[in-house]
Amino acid sequence: MSVPSDPFAGLLEGDVAGCCADLYELPAVRWLLDGQLHPGGRELTLRAARLAGIGAGTRVLDVASGAGTTALLVAGELGAEVIGVERGDGAVAQARTAAADAGLDGAVSFVAADATSLPLDDASVDAILCECSLCLFEDKPTAVSEMARVLRPGGIVVIADVTVEPDALPAKLRTAAARVACVADALPLDGYASLLRDAGLDVDCQEEHREAVAAMADRVESRLRAARIIRVAALEPWRSELSAAIELAGLAKQAIADGIVGYALTAARGPG
Amino acid sequence: MRDEVLLELTRSICPVCKASVDAELNARAGRVFLRKRCDEHGEFEALVYGDADRYLEIQRYNKPGDRPLLLQTETVDGCPHDCGICPEHRQHSCLGIIEVNTNCNLDCPVCFAESGTGHHADGFSLTLEQVESMLDAFVAAEGEPEAIQLSGGEPSIHPQILEMLAAAKQRGIRLVMLNTNGIRLARDPRFAPALAELGVHVYLQFDGFDDSTHLAIRGKRLQDDKRRALDRCADAGVSVSLAAAIERGVNEHEIGAIVRFGVEHPAVNGVFFQPVTHSGRHLDFDPLERVTNVDVIRAVCNQLPDWFREDDFIAVPCCSPTCRSATYALYDGDDLVPLPRLVDVEDYLDYITNRALPDLDVRRALEGLFSASAAGGTEPTGERLDCVACGVGLPPELAEVAAKGFMIVTQDFQDPWTLDVRKLMKCCVSEIVPDGRLIPFCAYNSVGYREQVRADLVAQRTASP
Repeated sequence: MSVPSDPFAGLLEGDVAGCCADLYELPAVRWLLDGQLHPGGRELTLRAARLAGIGAGTRVLDVASGAGTTALLVAGELGAEVIGVERGDGAVAQARTAAADAGLDGAVSFVAADATSLPLDDASVDAILCECSLCLFEDKPTAVSEMARVLRPGGIVVIADVTVEPDALPAKLRTAAARVACVADALPLDGYASLLRDAGLDVDCQEEHREAVAAMADRVESRLRAARIIRVAALEPWRSELSAAIELAGLAKQAIADGIVGYALTAARGPG
Repeated sequence: MRDEVLLELTRSICPVCKASVDAELNARAGRVFLRKRCDEHGEFEALVYGDADRYLEIQRYNKPGDRPLLLQTETVDGCPHDCGICPEHRQHSCLGIIEVNTNCNLDCPVCFAESGTGHHADGFSLTLEQVESMLDAFVAAEGEPEAIQLSGGEPSIHPQILEMLAAAKQRGIRLVMLNTNGIRLARDPRFAPALAELGVHVYLQFDGFDDSTHLAIRGKRLQDDKRRALDRCADAGVSVSLAAAIERGVNEHEIGAIVRFGVEHPAVNGVFFQPVTHSGRHLDFDPLERVTNVDVIRAVCNQLPDWFREDDFIAVPCCSPTCRSATYALYDGDDLVPLPRLVDVEDYLDYITNRALPDLDVRRALEGLFSASAAGGTEPTGERLDCVACGVGLPPELAEVAAKGFMIVTQDFQDPWTLDVRKLMKCCVSEIVPDGRLIPFCAYNSVGYREQVRADLVAQRTASP
């Protein structure tokens, strides 16, 4: 994969979801996030899976499945059957390799597709997980109505996502670069509930996990600062940008501490 | 009725007669105390950890130990009376210590080794041959030992100290350290270059900057000698760890300043804080108000709030988690970043509940972290980082990290009041004694082994023509 000279350049253009999916394939971004593409790590994924009622044999859709970490965890730990949908071709290939390496290629499969047009039949899955990616979708209502369409009656969707109080957000965090960090275009806590209700789902519960996003912002800031001290191959192309990125990470940390930015699980049930 | 919660039962010794006695660990007022009773000498109680929540929290980091290749003794009377190392022991020795003499050029008021300038009659000085056979015993037990420290007494005044250090190097021991007060380094301009040539790391006693600190702990104002010793080490290219003895009410307020000084001095790549051991010769003390590891960690964080916070310090899993905590930070003159913030330590170090990642540890996490940074195409490979926090440092492949890295360790050695055999069984610091036994450090200083070994050596000397 070629590395663009400016990782954030494409973000100023229109096709944001595609751009972010590409960004997450960058070694620099992977290194900064410690390979963990959503806050809370495996603990919070397992918590979301519990809220979604996932167990052995559950048919699960993982929307924006990235490199397959969540799908493999849910299949490996809970015995679910998982389909991962992801826009980035590279990520899909990587996820397939990871599944084969883990001996789970019988239980999980990955498809390159857009979340606004899922290649699945109506009412074909028991549960849906969408971790830290709904906030990146330009057309959230369509993505959620697609989830509602493929979810069986009584099935559960769990959205894990960044929450934000947009009026209180510092202007700098609204820039395109902040969109990469899932901050600028996220919704308030009740925004996710409304979105799911508007798609005809019944909201079961919402759980706030601000500590998870605080830890992730801290990790990214620390890794940026470390990269300024020692040479980190993945970040060398952007050495001159590091100080600006550190400032942005600092603003994000402050916003989290102030309660302007958070992270939450929202669970909703398909009617019937 | 005391307002306390019984956490655990263990075994300890009577500080007076050294007999084994049952002991309780109790949480009271947010701290953890060890209490025991000797039929003959009564009840004893000492503070063992300054934060009960953290004490319980870090037990998860207790990693299964590795057996040494060779055991030297049988289990007969039970821990701690069969050292060592006996089959009851649960860990190999990350660090071996050889005390080459009892003579010293100081008479510190707090010496756990009871060394000094006036001890020629009842002291000893090992021969090169004795040290060589002790090194051989260490190699036999460990295979490829990680680290050795020559200590005393004051080892730098032993006439054959350079030959002894060279003998350790020749045996392939990766980190060879000299534990010194620095007086010879400061006053003998040839000494630092000689250590540099051998590749010896200096472990320099460095307790603070105030006159009152120096007088209380060392009995002399040594600030100028310490600075001169460090500058000579920097000039010669000798790397140094500062070793600070911390005593309640004496130098706790200097902990942050010691770290800052160390971070900024070109020769220094780490600081080891050691709450003063109340073995051997020591100040009057209240066992219920000892300094413990968490007190040192809090002092670092309170005195350097821009640099450190409490969760930057990781309970070292190879020994008992409450014995030693450490952090490692990158520093470039402007910014300082603690390494634990770069990896998810919980994912790697929870040995009790971590079923999904049984093979992963911080070593792999660090390797992963820095394989992404590998400069010039060199990737760090299987080098052992297990014993990093026990004084070894990072592998040579990570030269840039090592050059900009700084380690802070706090190690709360046990004394006759605090001794807990469960912790002792996991001890990874061993005193190597002339008959080839490896005696866990806290047993050596608390149970009577030190006195026994010294008496034997003095008797041999008097018996020889």
